[in-house]
Amino acid sequence: MRFIREFLESLRIAFDALRANKARGLLTTLGIVIGIVAVVTTMTAANGLANAFRESISAIGTDVLYVSRSPWVQMGRNFDLRNRPNLNLKESEKLSAKLVSAQAVNPTTGTNRQVKFQSKTIEDVNIVGTTDRQMMVSNSVPEYGRFLTAFDVQSRKNVCVIGHEVKNRLFGSANPINQDMRIGRRRFRVVGVMEKQGTASFFGGPNFDMQVFVPVTSFVKAFGSTNRNFNFAVKAPSQEAMADFEYELVGEMRKIRRLKPAEKDNFSINQMNTLLDAYNNVMGVIVMVGLLITSVSLFVGGIGVMNIMFVSVTERTREIGIRKAIGARRRTILAQFLFEASTICLIGGLVAILLSMGVTALINNLLMPASISMPIVVVALAVAAGTGILAGLIPAIKASRLNPIEALRYE
Amino acid sequence: MALEIQNITKIYKMGQEEVRALRGVSLSIAKNEYVAIMGPSGSGKSTMMNIVGCLDTPTSGEYFFDGEDVSKMDQDQLADIRNRKIGFVFQTFNLLPRSDIFHNVELPLIYGGLSSSKRRELAEAAIERVGLADRIRHKPNELSGGQRQRVAIARALVNNPSIILADEPTGNLDSRTGEEIMGILDGLHQAGNTIILVTHEDDIARHAHRIVRLRDGLIESDERVGAMVAQ
Ligand SMILES: Nc1ncnc2c1ncn2[C@@H]1O[C@H](COP(=O)(O)OP(=O)(O)OP(=O)(O)O)[C@@H](O)[C@H]1O
Ligand SMILES: [Mg+2]
Repeated sequence: MRFIREFLESLRIAFDALRANKARGLLTTLGIVIGIVAVVTTMTAANGLANAFRESISAIGTDVLYVSRSPWVQMGRNFDLRNRPNLNLKESEKLSAKLVSAQAVNPTTGTNRQVKFQSKTIEDVNIVGTTDRQMMVSNSVPEYGRFLTAFDVQSRKNVCVIGHEVKNRLFGSANPINQDMRIGRRRFRVVGVMEKQGTASFFGGPNFDMQVFVPVTSFVKAFGSTNRNFNFAVKAPSQEAMADFEYELVGEMRKIRRLKPAEKDNFSINQMNTLLDAYNNVMGVIVMVGLLITSVSLFVGGIGVMNIMFVSVTERTREIGIRKAIGARRRTILAQFLFEASTICLIGGLVAILLSMGVTALINNLLMPASISMPIVVVALAVAAGTGILAGLIPAIKASRLNPIEALRYE
Repeated sequence: MALEIQNITKIYKMGQEEVRALRGVSLSIAKNEYVAIMGPSGSGKSTMMNIVGCLDTPTSGEYFFDGEDVSKMDQDQLADIRNRKIGFVFQTFNLLPRSDIFHNVELPLIYGGLSSSKRRELAEAAIERVGLADRIRHKPNELSGGQRQRVAIARALVNNPSIILADEPTGNLDSRTGEEIMGILDGLHQAGNTIILVTHEDDIARHAHRIVRLRDGLIESDERVGAMVAQ
């Protein structure tokens, strides 16, 4: 009980002190506010980027391996990549036949063409030649209409499934199903619209909502097959079997390509984790640097609080003497000044969170999807209180150790 | 026996120099005594009061307060003794300037851990006793010097201490106001409190029943006067 009453008195003193020096407290708080806004905004932005990235590549299944000519993520220059042969449709068929443990092998290829519907055109849209098996290797499904069928592929139908953004920009709110649109100079009939995937394009990643899928056979017929490079998406029997399956896949590819044991692979196996790892590496560094820089501003804010607390202790030396003379213990005096510092910082933290919400809303409208998460708010408040306690600690210890006689004599 | 000090010394070190403020003082004071400490300036009166009041610790010597050995206590234990058993009245009042009278008087009870209803009851009674009930919500700077000293007395007696220590309580007041303050202290003594006060003035010392004179850090004389002699 006694402790609680001392605690309440400490709280009351802290508020009285702040009320008596409003302007000073406000200016000190400002330093903390700026520091915390900087830190929170950095974290929010990093989170926003990470979420956008993860969402945009979520269509890539985690149990799917991609056979490609070159690795998705390249470290340094690698000249023998240029001499590698393209992957072609024949190899895809052979792989499909030999690799019996695979759940699916889906060959894809792409090109950029203008798409057109009535008076509306979009330049450089990514046209993807694929098969019905894409539904087995990708998590992304049509929002309405249907995806390509085996029959579409076999009979080289000029049908297409369009990405969410393509639909919006070409058709607006009209129903695109069974409409004829142009891809390059060819006419394709829209049979489906993919669901929205979100975009990672703001940092150079692909925009999956700006794609058009056509049967790979129709693709070859329309845009030619010479010098065209394919990618094979290969679905493993299970998530657990990934490692063994990759080994098996590499073996089959080497057999198909008739590579001698001494020869190196002239193809690459990719998977989503490769992308995620690369992303995390790069973002990790950026976020660390960002946090480091912003922490400096928070640190400077903390120094400001410490400075004010020293002033506060000196100013109130006599008061401390009086309180001690009538029975305040060390911890009570200590708590009084820690509360004062923490209150400055907590108020700063609360204001900072409100400001950060504003900044986040701005980022959301202008740059990319971002939202303040509860953990960030909790962390910000904890950091604020922590800064207060750290900044207040030395002055508070100084105050609590004052000799009552000397403090009372202080002019 | 309320308190007993034995062979107390206090040496202040200032660089190379040593100031021997007390050079071996022994004194015992019984319950309900009314003692005046006198002596020339610099003779060690305040130094002794601070040690007796547990605000300071002696360089050597022993101190028993209510049977407890105070000379071996740490800072927080001393704070506790000050809070529960000692009431201070200072020459310069030493009130908290930003707090009102009520809060100033209830403060020792907060540090003593009393509930707010109990605090209100005791603080109001103490303020009533020094005749300031109508000023309870005033700040110290809205009061006269005499009234401030009365607030300080209310604060000193609010926790019903074993002794009340007053270091030149009338030093900053004119003689009429000083007499009023002494009237209050006389009343407390009659109600059973133990009072020790420091003063330079014979008129003030006359209120006490025992006068201890210090000179150069030593007790020069210790005599019983007035009512105490009569007893
Ligand atoms: N903190 C200190 N540091 C150094 N010397 C001190 C300190 N406090 C007191 N003294 C010295 O100790 C001696 C006794 O001082 P003290 O304050 O006890 O005198 P006093 O009898 O109360 O005098 P006054 O009547 O003027 O109040 C003096 O010589 C003083 O200078
Ligand atoms: Mg003195």
